[in-house]
Amino acid sequence: MAATLNLSGLTDSDPGLNDQSASSRSSNRSLRIAERDRRKNEAEDPFALALKYFSDVEAGTPVIGNDQFENNLVLVETVAYSKGLPPEGISIMLEFAMSLRMGNSPCVRVLKCLIPATVVPQEAVVRAVVWLCVGKIPISSQVLFIKWVLTVFDLIDAKDQLRAIYGFIFNFVTEENLCPFICHLLYLLTRKESVQIFRVRKLLELQSKLGRQPFLLYLLSLYRVFCPELVTLSIPSRMRSGFRNHNSPWKSALIAVQKKNGSQVSPTISLPFMTNSRKRKHRHLEIPKLCSVVNKPAQTEPSFSRKVVPFMQLNSFTELLENLHRIELPAQMGSLLASSMALHYLDCVQDESALLRLNFWLGYTLHEEFLFNSDGGASQDLDEAQQFLNKLLFTQDFLQEGFSATEAFLYKFLRVWDGSLLRPQILSLLSNIPVVPSLKIGRLLFEPLMQLFFTSSVFFKCGLIECLNNMLSKWLSWHTVYALEDDLDISLNSHTSINMTLSEFKDSVMELVHFVGRLASVGLQLESYHSLLLSFILDFYETVCDTFVKYELPLIVMPPAGVFYPALFATEPVSVDRLAYIMYRYKVNLTSAKLDIKQKMKASHISRQTFYEFNHYKAIMVNCLWNSKMSEPDMGLQLKEELLCKSNIPEYWKSFDLINHPAFMSCAIDFHRKCWPRKRNVDLNSIKLSRPWTWYLQYLYSQGYNGLKQFVSSM
Amino acid sequence: NRFKSFFCSSSRAGCYHQVLCSLSVFLLQLVENEEQFQQSLADALVEESSVIVNVRLAKSLPVPTENETSRPRIDLVVFIINLTSELSFESAEASLKYLDCGYFLGKVCFLVTNARSVSVPAERLDAVRKLAALFHCPLLFVEDQTADGVASAAERLLTILKVAAGHVPITTSLYMSILAQCTVPPDIDQPSFD
Repeated sequence: MAATLNLSGLTDSDPGLNDQSASSRSSNRSLRIAERDRRKNEAEDPFALALKYFSDVEAGTPVIGNDQFENNLVLVETVAYSKGLPPEGISIMLEFAMSLRMGNSPCVRVLKCLIPATVVPQEAVVRAVVWLCVGKIPISSQVLFIKWVLTVFDLIDAKDQLRAIYGFIFNFVTEENLCPFICHLLYLLTRKESVQIFRVRKLLELQSKLGRQPFLLYLLSLYRVFCPELVTLSIPSRMRSGFRNHNSPWKSALIAVQKKNGSQVSPTISLPFMTNSRKRKHRHLEIPKLCSVVNKPAQTEPSFSRKVVPFMQLNSFTELLENLHRIELPAQMGSLLASSMALHYLDCVQDESALLRLNFWLGYTLHEEFLFNSDGGASQDLDEAQQFLNKLLFTQDFLQEGFSATEAFLYKFLRVWDGSLLRPQILSLLSNIPVVPSLKIGRLLFEPLMQLFFTSSVFFKCGLIECLNNMLSKWLSWHTVYALEDDLDISLNSHTSINMTLSEFKDSVMELVHFVGRLASVGLQLESYHSLLLSFILDFYETVCDTFVKYELPLIVMPPAGVFYPALFATEPVSVDRLAYIMYRYKVNLTSAKLDIKQKMKASHISRQTFYEFNHYKAIMVNCLWNSKMSEPDMGLQLKEELLCKSNIPEYWKSFDLINHPAFMSCAIDFHRKCWPRKRNVDLNSIKLSRPWTWYLQYLYSQGYNGLKQFVSSM
Repeated sequence: NRFKSFFCSSSRAGCYHQVLCSLSVFLLQLVENEEQFQQSLADALVEESSVIVNVRLAKSLPVPTENETSRPRIDLVVFIINLTSELSFESAEASLKYLDCGYFLGKVCFLVTNARSVSVPAERLDAVRKLAALFHCPLLFVEDQTADGVASAAERLLTILKVAAGHVPITTSLYMSILAQCTVPPDIDQPSFD
């Protein structure tokens, strides 16, 4: 039976059919007819008989007590849930259901089992929409039908006729219960030609009636992209993530059928609704095939005034360049992610409708896959999810900007994240988010991150600090690229249209730096000054100390005491050396900032407090490491003299100079041995004399402590 | 060993603190109405080799009154809430009343499972957040279906447990609970009109 049902196997087994798109449909059909004839001969096939029953059954046949009907329907349901229905079966059953030949109750039951094995014939959907227009169907069944269409949308073999009846479908928006689903369907079908002034008016009218519903806003925002002159409405930059039409019963059944069919499933179809990201990835690499089915009719359609070239027909970069102005996007935007050519297109054309639709697709997919699991995450295939997110990361790296859909998704995901699921991917995605306005940054980002940071292991803490470091350097790079010189206004991330003034941007950066400062101080304390964590924190401050010189941002923030002192008193010389380097860079930045102020006669961007803090830290470092003076009156750390005496450490004030510092003592002893190999007892104080001291410094520098070298020579 | 652990926890504030803490015995009380996840979590916690964790399981509070006198002081009480079940939430909410108020100074923590499930009404998640925010407690989300998720939950619980039991220098449980306390997020979904 499997052989007879597997209609798609026939169409796909011959690659020529798919490639020669002009002839594929007709031959497809003739093949189907041949198949049908063959099936007629196989009278013993019960499934074919069942389908025949449903196509022939007369209107008004009673349902109750009708064993024949019951048996046939059970048979169809079994096949549907196990293998999925062939296209022909879908047509017959949909026609049966929507014509209400046996009333409403079988209609609902049939709709629920319409799981396609391969594709859904467009004609069937169009006929069903016609039945919808007849208006006999109860509203709940209508909703069910539209939901079904949305679920299988990407399996519909062509969309041209559906687009042709756009107006009919649009009429249903006035039906309040149907409106959200119809808007979603329209969103998927809309083209520039479909945007008409009367439709915009209708939608605006609905909006004033129903309020600012996200589904209306989404459709309107797409309309606005196509025809900005018709839609003058202001649309919020952050919107509810897409249409919330979860169709989980079909979805899970579809996944099950697709998984079971495995290789049988036509490789030309990829489902954005499916969990199967591996399939998604591979299928996307085969966009040409997919599009040849979807877009082919558009070319032959006479009503089209402009000639469009579907993406699938482009095979080389030169072809892309030649057709850049008349490219038609694939029906399924997700497929763009996997095509390098599509990425080039997105990058250079900056097609707003493409990005809008891609964002929409992405928002929907991320939401469905990661926030709305049918069983709490048990079925989620981690490998596939990982690959999908890696693909997304690659795309974002390529385009050098984050999608707003990813951003919105992350804000929600962080709130329910356990801190370990897909950690590398989530942290990388997080480091890609565009600048967050300082008013919102606390609630959106800092609150969930704090809760995760303080309750997680030291490795998570390191990962998060690294992620925030990457985030900061990306923000700063954006600033250098996008900052307009004249009015100091920057327009970040052109597609999300977030415009920021320089002072707003500075506020956001400052918030971020202060936030990491807080995390770092407390984190170090909680993890008892873990050297790995300290190293990541110093990485962060290496970015922070160079904001003025490297990124031309007039903002310098000093590290808090909770970071400075642990680094200064660290037991590993690397940390002290890096702190010295950071202090040296701060000095370079502050000096050039001061010069800048003098030259341009501008008011100081850098507050006096920063200069004061820097001088204060510098004095402490020089006193500790160089002058062997521990406590100065203004050091901030105050310890009573008697208390220090009580510790019984001889000459405690010398404890943190370059010789006695716990980090450098081994160097000092080593140096002592090399300098005076014959001396039996080690007297470190002898290094303090002026000549050995110079030699000792040379020795330290030769060990690679360049930070110290730069720090000392700049003082 | 039992005696030792009892001694350690009851005199935690005393001067034997430093000496006894080297024993690293922690007392953890898990409360879960459904009694599904707490067993696997307890196994993961006990397997942790660096410390000895004495895990006690309960369906709800109050625990039976027998052995009340010999019961040690608990370092951390963890309420496990399965978000897909209303009963689970209600039971945890009811159990909270029986907890001595001293525990709310940083010795209570909430653990939520199934937060990413389609069948969770947004209101319930909000209610749990409000509950945790009200008591200034940390709220952890857990992937209870995977082994990695359980292991990571155990690891995070230990992080909190160590602080709650006073094993981390300079830090107190109250400090930790203020740092990691749950907050009620703004509704990101609402379109902003600014």
